[in-house]
Amino acid sequence: MASETPPGESETRLLMRPLNRLEMLSEQAYAYVLLLPAAILLGLIAFYPLVRTFTFSLRADDVFGADPFGQFIGVDNYVELLSGQALIPNQFIDPAMNEPLLRQALIVTVLFAVLSVFFETLIGFGQALILNQDFRGRRWVRVSIIIPWAVPVVIQAMIFWLMFNPTIGWGTDFMQWLGVFGDNPLANTSNSFIIVLVADIWKTAAFMALLILAGLQSVDRSLYEVARVSGASPWQRFKMITMPIVLPALLVAMLFRTMDAMRIYGLIDASTGCEQVPTLTCLVITSFNARRWASASAVAFLTALVIGIMVLFYIWQFRKTEGGAM
Amino acid sequence: MADTETHPDVEAQQQSQEPELDRGFFEAYAAKMISNPDRAYRMAFYVATFFFLVTTLFPFYWLAMIAISGDNVADVGIFTPATPVELGAFIEIFTQLPFHRFVFNSFLIATVATVIVLFVASLAGYVFGRLRFRGKQPLLLLVLVTSFFPPAAFFVPLNRLFNTNVDVLRPIMQDGSLYNTPYAIFLPLSALFLPLSIFILMTFYSQIPEGLEDAARIEGTTRLGALFRVIVPLSAPGVATAGVLTFISVYNEYFFSSLMTDGRAENWAPMLEGVLGFRGQFAVDYHLMAAASIVAVLPVAILVVVAQEKIVSGLTAGAVKE
Repeated sequence: MASETPPGESETRLLMRPLNRLEMLSEQAYAYVLLLPAAILLGLIAFYPLVRTFTFSLRADDVFGADPFGQFIGVDNYVELLSGQALIPNQFIDPAMNEPLLRQALIVTVLFAVLSVFFETLIGFGQALILNQDFRGRRWVRVSIIIPWAVPVVIQAMIFWLMFNPTIGWGTDFMQWLGVFGDNPLANTSNSFIIVLVADIWKTAAFMALLILAGLQSVDRSLYEVARVSGASPWQRFKMITMPIVLPALLVAMLFRTMDAMRIYGLIDASTGCEQVPTLTCLVITSFNARRWASASAVAFLTALVIGIMVLFYIWQFRKTEGGAM
Repeated sequence: MADTETHPDVEAQQQSQEPELDRGFFEAYAAKMISNPDRAYRMAFYVATFFFLVTTLFPFYWLAMIAISGDNVADVGIFTPATPVELGAFIEIFTQLPFHRFVFNSFLIATVATVIVLFVASLAGYVFGRLRFRGKQPLLLLVLVTSFFPPAAFFVPLNRLFNTNVDVLRPIMQDGSLYNTPYAIFLPLSALFLPLSIFILMTFYSQIPEGLEDAARIEGTTRLGALFRVIVPLSAPGVATAGVLTFISVYNEYFFSSLMTDGRAENWAPMLEGVLGFRGQFAVDYHLMAAASIVAVLPVAILVVVAQEKIVSGLTAGAVKE
């Protein structure tokens, strides 16, 4: 097209004078200007609160005061949390587990994350292997596998709450028939843990499936032909060709899911309740509701730390297998 | 089974082609699978597909059975509704609680958050995807790290911030605080889901050839004009992907959505409070909860059916970029 100036151009130029300044900037400065909205949003909602959470956690609880934060006490909150002296609401104390509260929450959370990610990887791998085939109706199978992923957390919780509700659910009968559950699983810690675990696997296996599927589809099909000709069994083809190529995608998917599982809250709050399955985030909210805001901040910051350590661990592992992909 | 015309053994013999053996249907099938392993894999494929379809879809079917069971909901079976079947629950959810208002609140919050995220992430995605500048890698890492933090780590200060009465806001809000307003939900959620959209858009924007942008600049567009008139329209699939994922994530979110309002529809409480609202303190309306769940899940289910390619590519692009 010809590069003649349209008639209205000069007036527009005048109106756009503030924008014209952008034209003068160096690429470096322009980049920073465009990043400003993102920086403000993340700064205000993420970085500033994170720092505040840390400073709050160094103050004492003042349950009855106008300001819920008392004087500066340093790391005492953390010491109390880790040594079990903290007076966080007692409802978490399970007679069977005479552990300090935070350690209970930490164990429950990490156990939940490990188990859910493990089973989601297994099931997700199965789903991905199926979706990787060519067959009629593949599109609809994929839709029905993704749908649980897109279900709102509250409805996911509702489904499983109803399923194990003593009045109308069939899940309790079924599990009792298997000999696993007691009479009212929603009021029992270990049964509730299993319910929450199953609910989480039901919803998020699809996420693993999609990420693994992306890895599977990046496998060069001709490799399989070569392997077939040289007499490799399907299992050998899977082990020698599929696995090594899928592994990086798999590790990334597991990283995402682990972090997500570590912050579980909504599913528990809406189904079994935080009393039954006390995860770290649950502990933050119960302490907060008891106006122990400083303790809540300390737990929250510890949660962030634990997740941060896990992320570092994964990235370190990833670097080892991939030779640094970042 | 024991038909006089064709004896099962005869049939099995014909199928298995091993006349000296006396085999039933399953044994014959097993024999074929041993002689032809591909058949076994195909069988395993069908069984697994069936298993996954049932496990993912059955809960919705059962939810529907509860919803149409009416007042006799306690008699609902695993596969059948209680009799008589009543569809009244789907009307009652809008009269007993203003469930439509809850859903509207959720839609409004999700829409506003999506618009904010798309705009901010477009700028940032352009910078990370196309510009060369010092500090790019560390800043990108910082964005990535933000998406790793648990929302709980932001909650206490944000709650305090949103409960602070600010005089500047007094003309807009009744008491000058953001608590019980949509702002208290869509601001944190925009920030929370911003990183994923930045990664998606960054990937798409970086794939637009340099020449197209240069051509637009020579034609006389401003830098921002080139971004919003050339790069963003050409990356429409990427923008749609980021938009769909953000909308679904915000609509589905629980943590901030449940903590930043007092749970009343007129105070902008989102859909989740509506669903939980039917689980009253004294009586639980199971059929209403199920009906409300179905109504609330429909929009996302439709979105998944319509935009499944976008969702798949978005999730994988976001993760692979990392």
